[in-house]
Amino acid sequence: MNLLHPDARVIDAGTGEELTAELIDAAAAALAGERLLFLPMSSTVGSVARYLAALRLDVPVVLLDPDADHTELIARYTTDEVHPDLALLLTTSGSTGNPKLVRLSRAAVLANAEQVAESLGVTGDDVAITTLPLFYSYGMSVLHSHLLRGATVVLERTGIMQRDFWAAVNEHRVTSMAFVPYQFEMLRRLRFDPATYPSLRTITQAGGRLRTDLVAEFAARMDAAGGRMFVMYGQTEAAPRMATLPPEQITAKLGSVGLPMPGATFTIEDDEVVYRGPNVMMGYAETAADLVKGDEQGGVLRTGDLGRLDDEGFLFLTGRLKRMGKVFGVRINLDDVEREFPVTAVAGDDKLHVFAEGIGADEARALRTKIAEWLGSHFTGIDVRVIEALPLLPNGKTDYRALEASL
Amino acid sequence: MTELQRLRDAFRTALDLPADAPVDDLRYQDNEKWDSLAHMSLVATIEDEFAVMIDTDDVINMSSFTEAVRILGKYGVDVK
Repeated sequence: MNLLHPDARVIDAGTGEELTAELIDAAAAALAGERLLFLPMSSTVGSVARYLAALRLDVPVVLLDPDADHTELIARYTTDEVHPDLALLLTTSGSTGNPKLVRLSRAAVLANAEQVAESLGVTGDDVAITTLPLFYSYGMSVLHSHLLRGATVVLERTGIMQRDFWAAVNEHRVTSMAFVPYQFEMLRRLRFDPATYPSLRTITQAGGRLRTDLVAEFAARMDAAGGRMFVMYGQTEAAPRMATLPPEQITAKLGSVGLPMPGATFTIEDDEVVYRGPNVMMGYAETAADLVKGDEQGGVLRTGDLGRLDDEGFLFLTGRLKRMGKVFGVRINLDDVEREFPVTAVAGDDKLHVFAEGIGADEARALRTKIAEWLGSHFTGIDVRVIEALPLLPNGKTDYRALEASL
Repeated sequence: MTELQRLRDAFRTALDLPADAPVDDLRYQDNEKWDSLAHMSLVATIEDEFAVMIDTDDVINMSSFTEAVRILGKYGVDVK
């Protein structure tokens, strides 16, 4: 598989290093004979070269957080036997204790790169900058859709809260940036004004629900500067993008996540959003033996999200079937958290709130650190509250609504 | 408590560091806990602690403990 348009460029904003055909060839030579690549994916030219080399050689890649310990995951999934269609394996419903992988075929990865590029109108003149890790499906998708169209991807590692990032935006004349909800809070704190960055044309939002007041606010800021904002919806299981809300509809359809990707459909079945398209995963893998399995989904993804379609086909999400939360755009199963720790967990806006009965402040702090480590998540996304006694429903079960209301 | 102690404590709280952790030589991203998310919480903690409102340029320039001392000086907080 080749995602790389001949005109595509990848540049490191920090070092000035640029991706070359020779670097990819050298990485490919070093991969000869490999059946599966566990790749700690940092935002560097070296990592991108290894990644593209593996894809070119049809060696499936497991994309990993370079700052986490994956000993257990690598031990669990190491194998010489993989399905011939398999291209990418991504971790999901993030707990480091129970790593489950999403199996994506080459066809699905390519289809989604094309769908995203088409729905956002990516061209060879575009310049994207990394605002998200490349091992995260949204960051990966930005890389794919831009490389496919011969655009430029600038690798930046300090992030949007530092001067170096904004200097790189101007130096490389960045046209497109991708953000998850918590980054919009940061941008608001920075009083982000797109007019300060004359090359900027497009911002995209995905990775969980963004408050509609922030959608409206940032859409207006982009519009005033002659730019556009796209609200999008996806899941790692769909490689990852499923829907995009076109900028010209953002006001009329405020709160919607948009229309399905080109060539795909949504239906609502028993209130659940069901997606059908060429970019749906082959299935999950929980063991190495699962990596030889073929397609188990037939292009159909039951999303686990509840939603409705309006009469023009725009999707509005209304909730989750299972008890799930999101922390910094990464999905978390609340029941898993409760099984692992002596707490009661509820989801907030991009935050995990856990209630612990009768512990001290030091214990609460230690618990926060432990939960963050176990989830592979950032500690600021976890809020531990000490409670004397949990509220109960008449049937003796935990009253989650009362807990949510107390936040 | 001196301004210096208050600023050190603000760093420890925001970066989730132990109460006795040395912070005077900290630089952004040198410490694994000080990333963009922790930076948000650090700026908010400093603003609350010293009752100041830090400008955008100062937020993105605050890349070390030393720099935070300098920036607070601009807001009339003499850290020593």
